[in-house]
Order: sequence, then structure tokens, then C-alpha cells
Amino acid sequence: MTLKSGTDQACAACKYQRRRCTSDCSLAPHFPADQPKMFQNAHKLFGVKNILKLLKQLDPTQRVIAMKSIKYQANMRDRFPVYGCLVEIQQLYCQIQAGEGELQAVLSQLAFYRQNHQHHQETSSTNEPTSQLQLGVAPPENSLSLLHQEIPQSYNAVTALPIAPQPSYSDNANPAYNINILDSKEHNMLNNLWFQQAYCNSNNNNANSMAMQSQFIKSHPLSVQQEMTHDYDEIHPFFDAIDDTQSYIDSKEAYESSSESSMKDMRNSIEQMAANELKSAAAFFSLTSVN
Amino acid sequence: MASSSSYSNPPCAACKFLRRKCLPGCIFAPYFPPEEPQKFANVHKIFGASNVSKLLNEILPHQREDAVNSLAYEAEARLKDPVYGCVGAISVLQRQVLHLQKELDATNADLMRYTGSETSYLNQMTAQFGRMGRGGGGASFNPNSGFPDATYSSQWNNDSNSSEHGGNGGM
Repeated sequence: MTLKSGTDQACAACKYQRRRCTSDCSLAPHFPADQPKMFQNAHKLFGVKNILKLLKQLDPTQRVIAMKSIKYQANMRDRFPVYGCLVEIQQLYCQIQAGEGELQAVLSQLAFYRQNHQHHQETSSTNEPTSQLQLGVAPPENSLSLLHQEIPQSYNAVTALPIAPQPSYSDNANPAYNINILDSKEHNMLNNLWFQQAYCNSNNNNANSMAMQSQFIKSHPLSVQQEMTHDYDEIHPFFDAIDDTQSYIDSKEAYESSSESSMKDMRNSIEQMAANELKSAAAFFSLTSVN
Repeated sequence: MASSSSYSNPPCAACKFLRRKCLPGCIFAPYFPPEEPQKFANVHKIFGASNVSKLLNEILPHQREDAVNSLAYEAEARLKDPVYGCVGAISVLQRQVLHLQKELDATNADLMRYTGSETSYLNQMTAQFGRMGRGGGGASFNPNSGFPDATYSSQWNNDSNSSEHGGNGGM
């Protein structure tokens, strides 16, 4: 029998393994009986033995987080059998790259208007404004100083990107990860992740782009992981918001969709973003050509 | 040894690790060369040879190399960080994206304040690009969901950040 002692139902793990679910079942808290698929995914990727082995080496507080990450990883592998979590990592890289490009464009605009405003202030104290770029409302004085302050900061953020200054983390469990991600070396490495360029900018089909991604994995094993700093206190809140039961049921329909159509959607959205970027750049240049 | 004939290939890293004969149809052989023993050792430790074999058998042959490499990546990540594994990297990247978005919002606000109404159209387009990047880039987020949702991107994020951006942590 697979019934737990008492009136409680056996957990999904014990139910799957067709064994008695005792009160000290270590997997019961993580695999409720009403979510069999979740355990199946985890079992398919890791196996019960490996999961228990992983949990054994962790503190009780860390086990909850670890199980959530294991379930997440297993579900991603179920959705994307070939790439698993790398799909998400890759998309985030693309987003960061797109965001950096956008930030550069906006900062360029800011610099341009600042320059014009400076020129206007220097020459128009007694003269009439002649530039067609003269804007209706002159910014208050303090905004210019604010601009001076913020642009360098933003440029620093851009040059030091992919991220702006973040608190350095300490992680006693993994001292190898105590690396400040702002180090320019890491930024260069991230910039050298050629697959970002290849995937984000290319219009190739999925096979080509993902083949390039494979090359990335080969040439930069754990480049993200090694450069990341970890603070479990910092990341821990991420897991608090995760509602396993509702989330999995809500996302169940998604499991029916093919990964290929998802890749196609992402490619379309990236192309759309690129097109919009071109439009905004064109509008900007058309405006600046009025002189 | 009788099995090591002069014209047979050396055993792959998997078969070497498992101390078994590497047959011509070994499913691991193309992806775990003997020069990279650690790769299979990591994968075996985290996922197990049997699970990997089953996974590979379910995937088309031309995709197996990518699958193995992604598994190797995840295994190594899990070994280095037993709590978060490769999901830790996702968390950090998501925070980067959020930070970048905040930076963009602030910069756009400065631009709009500075340029005034005459360029509001351009600024709106620029801001809209950012919004579309969040909404149209497939990076949707269901605050109630911690698992991959229907769209391509799955957000491993917290509620406070996502709600700040209208429930969308991406760009």
C-alpha cells in the first residue's frame, strides 16, 4: 500500500515508486500528491537517488531552495528537452544586449541635447534662438547638473555592464564565486559570448543558432556561473514567491506547445525589437537633420 | 585484452568511467570523448548514466550534442553550487535585466524632461521600445507562477520586482 500512516495521502514520490509514504519521507514536503508530473520530471532528469544525495549534503534551510531549483530545472528540461535552462539564460543575455543597445541610444540622445542646450545657453543670452532644435521649455538649471551627474554614471553603467554596481556578495559555501561581476574582465568575457551576437542578431533558423549555442557551451563552460556572485540571502526571496501548485497547473498548457514555435516567437520578437530600434534611430536622425 | 583489437576505437569517456566495453553503437561515444573524462563524470554524478541515456534516446540524433553539452553545463553548475545550480545564473541575469530597465526608465525620464514636448514623440518611441522589449520580447511573467509559463521566457523572479514593472521582469 502506498498510503501514508494516518489519513494523509502518499506524496507524489512515494506514489510513483509505489511504496509506503512514511511521516519522515524526505521528499514528501517537496512533491505533493496532487502534482505527479512535477515529480516525474525531477525523477526523469535526476532520479530519486541523485536527488536524495544532493539533499543530504545540504542544511535543512538550503534543502527547500535546492528542491525548488531542482524542480525548476527539471521542468525546464521537460519543456525544452535539448537545452533545458539554457534557453532562459540565452534569452536573458539577448535581453541584456538589447537593453544595452537601447541605453546607448538614449544616452546618445541625451548627450546631443545637452550639447545643444549648452551651446544655446552660451550664445542665446542676448540673441534670439535660431536653432530649430530650440525647445519650447528650457530645462531648469539644476537639471543640467543632474544631467552631468547622471550621464557619467550611466556611461559607467554601460561600460561596466552587463550590470551596474551591485553589492558584492559573500558566499561561504562557495568561495570560488566571490567575484565582483563588475570586473571588466567578466564584462569582456560576456561580450565575447559570441553566441549572443549570433543568436540575437541572426535570422538563421533554429538549428544554426542553437548549434552555435552548443559551441558557446563548449568554449565557455560555466562562464556565467563562475562569474556570478551568490548571496543566498539575496536570492532567497525569489523562491518565496514561487507557488509550486498553482504555477505548475497554470503552465500545464504551455507544456503542449512545441519548443520550436517558442523559438520562432522569440526570433520574431527579437526581429521586431530590432525593427523598432531602427525606426527610432531613423526618427532621431530625421529630427536632427533639421538645421 | 581481447576487446582492445588494434583497429577498434578507444573506449569513450562514459564506458571508461563505467568500466564497460565501448560497443560500436554506444550512445555516449560521440559526445563524451575519452579526452574529456570530467565531462561525463559530472553528468553521471548529477543525473546518472541511465537518465542521460534515456534522454538522448528521446532526442533526434542531430540535437544530441547540444543536449549533452547543456547537461554538462548544468551538471557542472550544480556541482559548484549544489543549492541553486544553473538557476543561480538565471536569477542574477534577471536582476541585471531589471536593473538595466530601471536605468533605461530613469534615462528616458531625464530625456523627456530635458527635451520637452517637441521631442516627446521620439521619446515615446524610445520608451515604447523599452516597453515592447519587456512585453514583446517574450519575457512575460506571471506573478503567481514560479514555473515556466506559456510564453517562451520563464521568469525565475520575485514578486516585488515584477510588480514594479507591471508584472513583467523582462524587457
